[in-house]
Amino acid sequence: MHKLKSSNHFGLFVVSGFVLFLLSNRVDELRVYQGASIAVYVVAISSIILLTGYSGQVSLGHGALLAIGAYSAAIAHNELHVPIILSFFVAVLASAIGGALLGAAAARLSGPYLAGTTLALAIGLPSLANQFSILGGEQGLLFDVGFPPLRLGEDFTQYKWFFWIAALAALISMWLLSNILRSRYGRNWRAGRSNEVAAQLSGINTGRSKILAFTISAGIAGLAGALLSMTIGTVSPSAFPLALSFSLLTGAVLSGVTTLSGVMIGALALVVIPEIADVVAYRIGSSENVATNLPGLMVSMLLILTVLFVPNGPVEQHRARVARKMAKKN
Amino acid sequence: MQILNTFLIGITAGSIYALMAISFVLVWRSTRVINFAQAGMALLSTYFGFEAVTRIGSFWIALPVAMIGGAIFAALVEVILMRLLVKHSTSGPIAAVAPIIATLGLLGLIRSVIAMIWGSQDLRIIPPVSNNGFTVNGETLVFSPLKLLILITTLVLMALLTILFQRTNLGLSLRASAHAPEIARLSGVRVDFIRTLGWALAGATGAVAGIFQTVNGNGNFSPDSIEFSLLLVSGFIAAVIGGLDSLLGAVIGGMFLGLTISFILMYVSSGLFFIAPFVILLTILFIRPQGILGVKAARRA
Repeated sequence: MHKLKSSNHFGLFVVSGFVLFLLSNRVDELRVYQGASIAVYVVAISSIILLTGYSGQVSLGHGALLAIGAYSAAIAHNELHVPIILSFFVAVLASAIGGALLGAAAARLSGPYLAGTTLALAIGLPSLANQFSILGGEQGLLFDVGFPPLRLGEDFTQYKWFFWIAALAALISMWLLSNILRSRYGRNWRAGRSNEVAAQLSGINTGRSKILAFTISAGIAGLAGALLSMTIGTVSPSAFPLALSFSLLTGAVLSGVTTLSGVMIGALALVVIPEIADVVAYRIGSSENVATNLPGLMVSMLLILTVLFVPNGPVEQHRARVARKMAKKN
Repeated sequence: MQILNTFLIGITAGSIYALMAISFVLVWRSTRVINFAQAGMALLSTYFGFEAVTRIGSFWIALPVAMIGGAIFAALVEVILMRLLVKHSTSGPIAAVAPIIATLGLLGLIRSVIAMIWGSQDLRIIPPVSNNGFTVNGETLVFSPLKLLILITTLVLMALLTILFQRTNLGLSLRASAHAPEIARLSGVRVDFIRTLGWALAGATGAVAGIFQTVNGNGNFSPDSIEFSLLLVSGFIAAVIGGLDSLLGAVIGGMFLGLTISFILMYVSSGLFFIAPFVILLTILFIRPQGILGVKAARRA
């Protein structure tokens, strides 16, 4: 029905991919690893932006969906000997199924009820790892994507390989998302978010539309989970604490939950803040207690301040300011 | 005997959940916000109580100290954070979720500040009476003097709250501002002050829940304590069962949740400790989204 427009940003994403490729050859190992983390966060945060910003459903338990993805990828790779690239697809699929189930429940709930339900899931789900031996208990499972292929050269490091995989996944998922959000589904989500009754009156099945949003968001979260455990090397309950769900939500709020293009801001902030905190703690010569908890403090402060003063995110705020200026001129 | 034990454990845990649920309900009634930082505040109050116990040595002084500390902190949060929030983010696509996110940020903030001040290792509050079970006819029950104490204190607190709400002018103002803020304001109720008071009461109730949750467990607590995550979720679920708007509902919800979890752990599997609350919540929301005791309109509010 609705043909994809020729300007589906494909060229833009190819160019960004090429720039990233050049960059990864010019910086040191630590930066490459941080680049991989940023790419993982981009994927995870974009899934929250889709869910919260566009379809208006809040999830405090995205960490649980990441965990589903990570565990299914690891099991598929270790037990069923699925090739590594396919195990990422398994992660997407498994999380999407989990998300569809959760979404079916979520479509009936609003605001605080949904927030509480997803919170309960985030606290409850990781503990299941101790229930079934196939999930490996507290130690968790290994998830090894293997060495980079030899034809990439002798000095092609493991971290660079992580970065390439994560960056490629981030580019693909961003490209898919930005096109979905501009499609009929994206418009349905926004309509349902702004005014549910009006959306229903114009023929949108808001319930089904919400479930679809949850399913897609969960699938992308699953991909992020598999990527995250790739960079850690293992999948364990401790990799998906409540704090992870919260910091992803923080990243989404910092990005501006209604603008997919702001996603880099949030992802960058999540990686950079601990670095800044380290420097600050070192400068003021603080005790160990202060130093280890400074990143958490800064993230929380930033979250509160953002919600208070730029609730719709810096990108949206800027757009609104420009629009106001234009209106004044005319 | 096993059934009796399970019942008594469930009732004790349930009364703690009920206290937590009451603090959720008090905040919800006064500002229509679910305060996800409630468990963080309870944890902070537990640290206040810990300081009082170590300095003064008496649990009976520490409990009111924690309650007062919790009340003052909650009142400050309402005045500083919540009023700003209401003023700033009233429109835009995320206005509906902004309070949820702000209280989450507060939870993270409290946790980091606690860890900065007291460190992240386990601290310990020693209960005032023994947690060894009573012996009846030569058989040892799980029910202990401590659990009896928790039960009695909870009942006394609930009675006090009921008297406050039903028998005093202040309670009348609290109920009036919850149900019709505009009309209350026109009849001369200082709604802003009453809202802050609602938060303060919630802070004090949460403080008791926090301390009891600590001593009813192994007495240890830390900033990352899973007990407090559980308290957060259980209190929320109990409040939802009760319909979020009623104090009596919160108590019934808490007892129901405590008993259900206790029987599930005893007769199904003890490994379901963390996932059971989630399953119960989903079941409840599927059967009656507005809570067992709630009215239909509550869900939309």
